[in-house]
Amino acid sequence: MLKKTKWARMLAIPLIASVVMTGCTTKEENAGNQQNTQQETGKDNTGKPATWIADRKIKGLVFMDADDITEDMNPEILKQIKEKTGIDFEFNLMRAQNSLDGLIAGLAANDLPDFIAFYLNHSGRKEMPIVLKAAREGKFTDLAPFMKDTKVYSKYLQEGYLPLDTNKGVMFRPEFNGAAYFMHMNVSREVGYVTRKSFGGPFIRKDIAEALNVDPRKITTSEQIYELAQKIKAGNFKDYNGKDVSVIGPRYWGGQEVKALYSDLTINVNHTFGRDKEGKIVQEIQTDYPLKRVEFVRKLLKEKLMNPEFYTMDENRATEGILNGSFAIVADMHNYLDFNKDMHYLPIGPLNVGDKPFRMGIDYKTSGGAWAIPTTTKNPEEIVKFADFLASREGKLLWQYGIEGRDYTLDAKGNPIVKKEVFELKDKDPNAAKALGFAGVGNAWGELLGNTDVDRIDDFGEIEYGNAAHPNVDEGPLKLAEYWGWDEKRKNAEMLDTYSPMAFLGEFSKEQEFKAALDNYNESIIRAYYAKSEDEVKKILDQASKQLYAAGLEDYLALLEKKDADPNTKVNL
Amino acid sequence: MQRPLYIWKKVLLHRYLYLMLMPCIASFIIFSYIPMGGLLLAFKEFKFNLSILESPWVGLKYFEQFFNDYKSMTLIKNTLIISSMKLFLGMPFPILLALMFNEIRSRWFKNIAQSIAYLPHFMSWVIIVGLMQRILAPDTGLLNEMITYFGGDGSTFYMNESNYFYQIMFGSHLWKTIGWDSIIYLAAIAGINQDMYEAAKIDGASKWAEVWNITLPSIRPTILIVFILSLGSILSAGFDQLYLLKMPGNAELVDILDTYVIRVGLQEGQYGYATAVGMMQGVIGLILVVAANRFARKVSGTSVW
Repeated sequence: MLKKTKWARMLAIPLIASVVMTGCTTKEENAGNQQNTQQETGKDNTGKPATWIADRKIKGLVFMDADDITEDMNPEILKQIKEKTGIDFEFNLMRAQNSLDGLIAGLAANDLPDFIAFYLNHSGRKEMPIVLKAAREGKFTDLAPFMKDTKVYSKYLQEGYLPLDTNKGVMFRPEFNGAAYFMHMNVSREVGYVTRKSFGGPFIRKDIAEALNVDPRKITTSEQIYELAQKIKAGNFKDYNGKDVSVIGPRYWGGQEVKALYSDLTINVNHTFGRDKEGKIVQEIQTDYPLKRVEFVRKLLKEKLMNPEFYTMDENRATEGILNGSFAIVADMHNYLDFNKDMHYLPIGPLNVGDKPFRMGIDYKTSGGAWAIPTTTKNPEEIVKFADFLASREGKLLWQYGIEGRDYTLDAKGNPIVKKEVFELKDKDPNAAKALGFAGVGNAWGELLGNTDVDRIDDFGEIEYGNAAHPNVDEGPLKLAEYWGWDEKRKNAEMLDTYSPMAFLGEFSKEQEFKAALDNYNESIIRAYYAKSEDEVKKILDQASKQLYAAGLEDYLALLEKKDADPNTKVNL
Repeated sequence: MQRPLYIWKKVLLHRYLYLMLMPCIASFIIFSYIPMGGLLLAFKEFKFNLSILESPWVGLKYFEQFFNDYKSMTLIKNTLIISSMKLFLGMPFPILLALMFNEIRSRWFKNIAQSIAYLPHFMSWVIIVGLMQRILAPDTGLLNEMITYFGGDGSTFYMNESNYFYQIMFGSHLWKTIGWDSIIYLAAIAGINQDMYEAAKIDGASKWAEVWNITLPSIRPTILIVFILSLGSILSAGFDQLYLLKMPGNAELVDILDTYVIRVGLQEGQYGYATAVGMMQGVIGLILVVAANRFARKVSGTSVW
């Protein structure tokens, strides 16, 4: 038998060795960066095009879903990039269950390429605390010094160019004293610019609405949704395979909470904060909305008016069901979906939000998506220059329209006219079209670094890709927009230049606990929908409420009041 | 000086055996021992720009945080219930299957039956849970269609009902693991001296008496060793299966330490906290294995070491 000392030795030696091996691995430093920058500058670029940057490779890692972006680049497009800029461009998608998991693992792995790109609609998005922590701990390069020398990104430094949240919440955060570690993207050139007449929300099968003699646009409350659902059930409608329809089905992209279906029973469709009747900022749990909503959903489920898998169905089955007409009401889709170009689904509502009628909200300026350069990247200014090239008209022409002659021709004004063959290929074989490698055919690699300072009409004379050659290309979606009254709603829209209520978590002392409590609140609401009894509903909501209070709800609400009182940090409530 | 020399001589003598052992040792060092260094994170605040050793110490902060969390007791309770079901309730089934396989006389039928039983082991939980979702779906699932066909109410959402959770969890676990887990017992049965069976037959023992008095006692050491080693994972109830089985209706029963570790560790980036919880699972598992091993040695003379 082994003696105790031997046991101790056997365990201790490998443990110490492993601790030393893992623990002593120091993180890579950006030691050579300055030196390399100096070496690269001053290289002879005579005979090279004006867009030339450097003869080098730029590699990126993208933390986005494969549905939104593809790694496959077209060789001819890559050749054009090389000829114009000298850059061999390459990027990979981080494979993960969801993009946020990938981002966290990627940052911790400490093996980042020249740039990373990630989702970041606003500073309240889930990615923000992670990238913010990385920036605070010196993981990213300050981009501000390089922006001055660019054509497009230098606009970010102009007063009033950036929306409030992009400016002070994402990029030039006061805590960074003028430094900017993330480049926020998709900023429109003009205030209130909207590229598409798009809208989303619940839709109903047109034949069913007509059979019931219902105008779906007149439905503005959850109670009317309930009455409509009852009529549909009584009507015994069938799907395209002859089976009974499910009255209210999940969203097109799979089951999850869809507040738009009962937005009059929510404090806000996008988050859980708002002002109560006394004008005080409250979290939804402090109002009677959660109970009302839970009661409403439980009624729908109990009376079999809502598909039982509404909140859990996977995307394939949900989409398949919608294509088969298996759901009389689709909880959420939008007017640009290809399958509905013939308008066989019509939009419902929109429903009131809380106790107020629906009012369209327009961003002061659009924004979304971001990129950053790790401190380990050599010559970071070249990445910024490359992004600037992609954000220029010439760059955008390449990644949005492809190659002149092959994919488009230029009209007298120099605007692109998409070739007929490209449209035909896009209709016949979308994957083959995608292989042509530009955004117009669904390959949006250029959006990562180049989609900003957006103004399609100014740049290319058309609001959508291919409009000039095919004015009817979006006929279906535009007819739906007309039916929904998009123009009228746009006219009365509210202009928003605000912060998300979640944007201040980074400066809240109980950040992690409060974030977990908010996540738990959202999860608890869905659990309550399926609870077995009213007592269980009460228990679930009480527990969620206790956790929110324990995590500092009152303090966070006080912080929101303070922020909203400051004109520089108005909160979207 | 004599002893090391003797050891080296022995090593040299059996050099090929040691050479064959090398990949195994290397794999243990790379995948089991080196990552153990990361356990330090349980006592440190992870910083993106610092190594584990350089990151600041936080003492037992994460352990305290875990036990102060109102969910911790639910997590431990759920984990213990699920893993105990898999460990204690699940244990006899592969033994029974091995006994049944052992009694099959037709060689081709035995081969086919074994292959079918082993197959689910090679399927990922994503596929298995996907299959179950299709079979158990309300209204449109196979089971509910059958219930409707026979005049019943085919709208039960089995996957979402907490009443059916343990049955679904245990049933799918058993279906996936029973075949593969029976192999070790089948191998142990194959090693039993056939003379004992012949002697029993001469004495007029029935088949049942042979199983009860020869087979089971002979494979008892194997059963004990498998049991002791399984105790190590008593606080790991199986992440992938439970993560995929989680539905709003059963969430209160499904949340276990493994899913919690992934949620706070990966999805919220709290590496130190997640490491502390993971470490706790490992340490409790180690204590249980050592204790069970001692107990088994004392009671039956069989032990892992």
